[in-house]
Amino acid sequence: MTMSRFTDPLTGEDAVGDPTAPELGTGAFGNGGDGADQARARDDETVNKTGTTTIGISTDDGVIVATDRRASLGGRFVSNKSVQKVEQIHPTGVLTLVGSVGGAQSFIRTLRSEADLYEARKGEPMSIHALATLAGNFARGGPFFAINPILGGVDEEGSHVYSIDPAGGVMEDEYTVTGSGMQLAYGTIEGEYDPEMSLDEARELAIRAIAAATERDTGSGNGVYVSTVTDEGVEIEGFEDTDEAHAQ
Amino acid sequence: MQDQNQQAYDRGLTIFSPDGRLYQVEYAREAIKRGTASIGVRTADGVVIAADRQVRSPLVEEQSIEKLHRIDDHIAVASAGHVADARQLVDFAREQAQVNRLRYDEPIDVESLAKEITDYIQRHTQSGGVRPFGAALAIGGVDPDGTPRLFETDPSGTPYEWKATTIGGNREELMGFLEAEYHEEMDLDGGVTLALETLAQSDDDIDPEAVEVSVIDTETMTVRSLESDEIAAHLAEFGGDDDE
Repeated sequence: MTMSRFTDPLTGEDAVGDPTAPELGTGAFGNGGDGADQARARDDETVNKTGTTTIGISTDDGVIVATDRRASLGGRFVSNKSVQKVEQIHPTGVLTLVGSVGGAQSFIRTLRSEADLYEARKGEPMSIHALATLAGNFARGGPFFAINPILGGVDEEGSHVYSIDPAGGVMEDEYTVTGSGMQLAYGTIEGEYDPEMSLDEARELAIRAIAAATERDTGSGNGVYVSTVTDEGVEIEGFEDTDEAHAQ
Repeated sequence: MQDQNQQAYDRGLTIFSPDGRLYQVEYAREAIKRGTASIGVRTADGVVIAADRQVRSPLVEEQSIEKLHRIDDHIAVASAGHVADARQLVDFAREQAQVNRLRYDEPIDVESLAKEITDYIQRHTQSGGVRPFGAALAIGGVDPDGTPRLFETDPSGTPYEWKATTIGGNREELMGFLEAEYHEEMDLDGGVTLALETLAQSDDDIDPEAVEVSVIDTETMTVRSLESDEIAAHLAEFGGDDDE
């Protein structure tokens, strides 16, 4: 990055700060360079990926974010059957893991600490739009590898669902799907989604969409994790079978 | 002028005196007192900052003496003390305000900006090879949630929040005036008049051209500089204009 003209007299570092870099742990996210390229190449061959179907659906009462539970190597070998691919990163916000497991996990840890720092300093939680902007900056600025998560959350303005692409694109929508099973899940949701639907109806729809992707996408399967985000907080439940989830 | 004992502890900035004082920081406060005053007044519907340009010669272009500075749409500062030092803090504040927009896509709140600036000032009291900032700022603005806020920075790097305050010269007298005259139900117009009346305590003849006033109201949340005819109208309210 280019330094601002203000340096910190204690550390000699930039006193203004890089808006695209995490405040903590910057050493792991040098921009570009050989290390990043090598890491990306490594990622493509042997690194665990989530394959994945992750879904975010927004309603007036809150947000449902659902994912499958499979990790795979190259989409051909199931390397884990019980991955929790949706994590709380904010008092009323969750993020999904999509892409390289290592990249997505470090992305989640970084965003969680940024959200905590923000809240500690300002005395109130970040807006979901601010969190999405920050996530987009990090995805663009540092080698978090090929990740394509969904951010779901609730703030003073209401319910939000964002997709974040590997180049830092941030797009809000009423519902969104990412991962290898996305066309199957979209097929289920398209035509069924209704902006007026209840949180329970959105939950049912998300589980059905994960079930559809599980049937036909080799990168998705082994049950479902469902998170429910309301203005009161986050609840995350895991099920070995999508049918069990329906019964709840 | 100063005793031997003191001289031993005011050469290096990072050195405490045996009685726990940082003389260089105290000298920086003295530097601020040497200039004219700037005023900040917070009201329920906005914040006012005001300053008297010290025009030393009729040949100086008055507009070139800047004591009020817009930081972002919703925040402005008044400075006192060393102008050159204040300008550095002002530009630091402008960059911080933009970093917040780049990072979060939202305007910075006034308290966070004040603390970024005071943290930067503090680092200049604990490092070798630098001197403290000989400038103070009164930071006025409206938070993204619509709350008017007014902060002051000090050369030690301590942030203070005020309902109304003055920085710069003649502080004791002006604070006494503000403490007597300020009341919380005041509207923004009343705040402008009070700020000008406070400035007039030091300088009986106020030339509307030589005074700068900016307001940030909670409705538009935008910094606006008052025109000299608006300032003249406020001066007339308490008879502070030239003609009296």
